[in-house]
Amino acid sequence: MKISILAAAAAVMAGACSAQAANIEFWYGNTGPVETAIKAQCDAFNAAQTQHKVTCVGQGSYEVSMQKAIAAYRAKNHPVLIQFFDAGTLDLMLSNAVVPVQEILPDVKWNSYIAGARAYYETSGGKLFAQPYNASTLLFYTNRTELEKAGVTQTPTTWEEVIDAARKLKAAGHACPFVTDGDTWRVLEQFSARHGLPIASRHNGYDGLDAEYVFNTTFVAKHLQNLVDWRKEGLVRLNADTKAGNYTAAFNAGECAMMEGSSGSYAASTKAFDGKYQITVNMAPMYKGYERHNTLVGGASIYVMKGHDQAEVDGAKAFLDFLRKPEQQMAFTAATGYVPVTNDVLEAINKSGDAKAAKYATAAIGIESMNQPPTADSRGIRLGFYVQFREIFMEETQKAYAGQQTMQVSLDNAKKRGDELLRRFEQTYKGVKLP
Amino acid sequence: MTSESTLFSNRWLPVLLVAPFMLLIILFFYVPIFQAFYWSFFLEQPFGGGSMFVGLDNFARVLSDREFWQAGGRTLVFMVTASSLAVLIPLILAVAADRKIRLSLPARNVLVWPKGVAGASIGVVFAFVFNPFVGILAPLNKAFPGIWAPGIDGTDAFITLIAAHVWSGIPFNFVILLAGLQSIPRTMQQAAAMDGAGPWRRIFDVQLPLIMPQLFLTLVLEFTESVTSAFALIDTITHGGPGGATTLLVYKIYKDGFSGYDLSGAATQTAILMVFVILLTAAQFAFLGRRINYER
Repeated sequence: MKISILAAAAAVMAGACSAQAANIEFWYGNTGPVETAIKAQCDAFNAAQTQHKVTCVGQGSYEVSMQKAIAAYRAKNHPVLIQFFDAGTLDLMLSNAVVPVQEILPDVKWNSYIAGARAYYETSGGKLFAQPYNASTLLFYTNRTELEKAGVTQTPTTWEEVIDAARKLKAAGHACPFVTDGDTWRVLEQFSARHGLPIASRHNGYDGLDAEYVFNTTFVAKHLQNLVDWRKEGLVRLNADTKAGNYTAAFNAGECAMMEGSSGSYAASTKAFDGKYQITVNMAPMYKGYERHNTLVGGASIYVMKGHDQAEVDGAKAFLDFLRKPEQQMAFTAATGYVPVTNDVLEAINKSGDAKAAKYATAAIGIESMNQPPTADSRGIRLGFYVQFREIFMEETQKAYAGQQTMQVSLDNAKKRGDELLRRFEQTYKGVKLP
Repeated sequence: MTSESTLFSNRWLPVLLVAPFMLLIILFFYVPIFQAFYWSFFLEQPFGGGSMFVGLDNFARVLSDREFWQAGGRTLVFMVTASSLAVLIPLILAVAADRKIRLSLPARNVLVWPKGVAGASIGVVFAFVFNPFVGILAPLNKAFPGIWAPGIDGTDAFITLIAAHVWSGIPFNFVILLAGLQSIPRTMQQAAAMDGAGPWRRIFDVQLPLIMPQLFLTLVLEFTESVTSAFALIDTITHGGPGGATTLLVYKIYKDGFSGYDLSGAATQTAILMVFVILLTAAQFAFLGRRINYER
């Protein structure tokens, strides 16, 4: 609060001195090592030039950041730049509170962004709405040391092999072969995208607000039923089944041997493993007989909010330009495990001679995963009130894991409740066209 | 009432003294409440910019939503079980502390301490206390694996929530009830004892009837408070899970409004919940309050 008042006061003073310079605010939601890396970028920007000053304000989580942004926007007290996560894409697109980045920065070579990242955030006219920032995708992590102890020498690449390995681990006395939190992003979105399955009709909402959820009829239903069965068999554990209480913490502590997780958790895992275990990280497993398609770009991107004067917008543009610089993206990737999503950064990494280094391990695999052949259903998710749907999906599937109802009933319920959200979204934005 | 005019010579002085507080109440209570009622008739875009009058559509939508009724049902179950326990347990403790038994003096002191702990902190502590791997029930889990799993089993999570709520409610209710017990003239007890009434008979025929005003106060406060005060506990212990088993109405409103951006739906549910609490309190006064004898 104090910081924002100070920044506002400073902005007023700066505005009086020079029309060009601006103090701008950037709200982000990450914590831990990622927050450290974000702050380092803000400091670097302020040190690299004197015209603009960015104040980076951590809000504790993406959702809190969004809640505050909504309140601040209604009170006309909002920041120029805000980071928000993938699930809120359509909510922000239709909010009428943001300007597409490609509109205010028309001269940037936006084509250097890999197709997967563009598809998620671009309008039907091919204009990027937000600048991808901390991009991530789903990867498959194993604790090689534990796998080898159980006699698994090849890192599994298919679900069949994962479960074979899990059975061997269990036979070797391992209490937690595979761990997941059953999160919507992991078990529904990324699974559907790479297996080429739709989540909702109208190509996941890209073709109109009248989409309906269809995931309860696709192969996802079978996979989720498998997860229930495997959990009963003692091969798969959920957050609440682990001592650590959280899947990444359980994997990092060595309690669990395999996990599907965001590339963004790579830095924490390698740090925790250091000297104790060997880690492998690969593309997420497929079912046999399915052709591999791209995984979705997750993480978050930066939006420019409306209602600021030219000086502030100039400051925002300068900061966005700074964040896009290859050396900035490389440093951010090295510090966090998030994936750089522009081709020039990949080239820069290859040229740096460090391409094989552990700190860039997720970059190559992440890009490879997001660059698999796309389908019309693997572009992204353009569904309204999707943040809330994610929670509904979790709530309903948890009932299936607890044995209260079958997975099919859970999915049918989630579809029904999700469709209600979509209809209300459609009504809230009556007459609004998808950009 | 009659002493007012003797205390304040200027009739506007009391108004002025109350004004700052009234202003705060109006600003942070009545205005938001009015806003909630207003929004419940509109379909509101999260970022503003467009809202549409929909009449009673929001109420129709909420009232036909199965999740709303389930959350309402859970709120009722929580209200009845947690509130009753949160009065019953302090009552037992107060009756015990009122008797001159060993340690009753330090107990009177110690039992008030939890009052100083915020709901969210209590939540964090109880999340640890009831953790299936390191908490107090961990040995039970060792003996019978999976018997206590608040992260998977909704009932276990609900029990955790009730335990935390009751624990946090002990100090206040204990103080009120103990004060009530202590204000009973000792001669009454002595007279009852002389007439041959044993300790139990004295509790039921002398003490309880005489602390009815205090019991009524604690019950009314508990019932109304349990509807809203569970929020901090839910947000720190269960996050409404597993599988929505601990999503009480107050938490559902927060989730719908703040992570679902359904401002209209959340406002509508707020309006319904508030009318319910007002009716509940009115009913308590109408049916229970009238029978209570405040004279001694």
